[in-house]
Amino acid sequence: MPALLEAHGLRKTYEGRVLLDDADLRLEGGVITTLSGPSGGGKTTLLRILGQLSEADAGQVLLDGVDVRTLMPRDARRRIALVPQAPAMFPGTVLDNVRTGPRLAGRDLPESTARELIVRAGLDAQFLGQDARALSGGEKLRVAVARALALHPEVWLLDEPTAALDAERADILVRLLRELARDGAPILVVTHDARALGQLGGRHLELSSGRLGAEPVARPA
Amino acid sequence: MSYVSVSLPQLLLSLGLMALAIAISSRNHLGLEKDLAVGTLRAAVQLFAVGLLLTIVFRNEHPASVFGVIAVMVVVGGWTAARRIAHGPGTGVLFRYATLAVLVSGVVVLVPVFAFVIRPPRWYEARLLIPISGMILSNAMNGVALVFERVFASVHDDAPAVEQLLSLGATPRQAVERHVRAAMNAALRPTINGLLTVGLVALPGMMTGQIVSGTAPDQAVRYQLVIMYQLVSVAAVAGALAASFARGLSFNDREQLRTFADRRVG
Repeated sequence: MPALLEAHGLRKTYEGRVLLDDADLRLEGGVITTLSGPSGGGKTTLLRILGQLSEADAGQVLLDGVDVRTLMPRDARRRIALVPQAPAMFPGTVLDNVRTGPRLAGRDLPESTARELIVRAGLDAQFLGQDARALSGGEKLRVAVARALALHPEVWLLDEPTAALDAERADILVRLLRELARDGAPILVVTHDARALGQLGGRHLELSSGRLGAEPVARPA
Repeated sequence: MSYVSVSLPQLLLSLGLMALAIAISSRNHLGLEKDLAVGTLRAAVQLFAVGLLLTIVFRNEHPASVFGVIAVMVVVGGWTAARRIAHGPGTGVLFRYATLAVLVSGVVVLVPVFAFVIRPPRWYEARLLIPISGMILSNAMNGVALVFERVFASVHDDAPAVEQLLSLGATPRQAVERHVRAAMNAALRPTINGLLTVGLVALPGMMTGQIVSGTAPDQAVRYQLVIMYQLVSVAAVAGALAASFARGLSFNDREQLRTFADRRVG
């Protein structure tokens, strides 16, 4: 049974604004779901709640049918990769960064594996020894993807992953996501990139006025 | 050696020194005359008040009065350490933790010293307990203030990286390890520097005071060493406690980074 992430009745308000209003979501294993909506409309908030970095005011998130609140937060997070739009790099080299997840769990990641992971994420192997914090936005994003790959997460959540990438690099990332989906992972990608939307295929959702819908919801004038 | 006392008329003569400072300020248009005049008066009022209080406490030496004074030091220290922390959970919440950190670190460092090292003739001897506790508690207060300020500010500034460590399965302890280490380092640094340069740059206040009042220098040195070691130790204990409290306060029960309203501190 492929891993599955579900959300029921999510509600979140921030500074008086309703970002999520009774939002339901079901991410099936092996399916890429794309999500768009007006900026400031709660897409990032939704990813943060699904990725266990933020609590909803109401509602429930289920991972493989189990309420995430019954899991240790760190265990749930290891199973859910969350790649933000502008990932922060940790001090040290790209290799140090890619090794972070396994290190936190008390495991060592061989350099050869780290090299394979950054290549898979679309970065040349020569980046391994570079200072991660001196990289460009697009390079940092690919390091963040490699960092997440090192933990073999079951679910992927990505926020505008192609925004800082040129077409060629974006294609590599899209190919990787399709590969991960083929291996059974549910994937949610927030994106407004028409090219990526077309290539990723799968299911498309709109988040508008706090609700998730399959069709674009008409916004009040 | 006998104690050389200062009479009030002699003390008034020393006001000439302040007059000199005020004259220099006036001549160079520094605009500090008012602050200097207020400071001269305020320092005198505060110190005479403390002197009066200590005279009363010393005359009626009783455990309740001695420990009452020390309790006030702990609470004022906790309050001072909890103030002016931007990006934290608020002075009201921090006050409780700061006071606890000052109290516990003070007890850990003061009790063994009074029990085994500087053994007062009576266990509540005011002339030993009050000044030594004051020095130690004020260092604890500075350590707590520094750690609170640094941990909350650096975690706030580095929130995206902290959250990505959490995403990769870090415990709260792992996620802010770097920030806590830097804060504790900063809290210990001034006291360690004091330890390294003591006697080379200036004679420490307590030793100077003892020598002036007629204590043999070798005894004054021994006292000063005990105090220096206590100062380092209390900074370490208070800093570690404050770091642990700050870490706990930075996360909710789902191990998520809490966000605090920015407070303007002036």
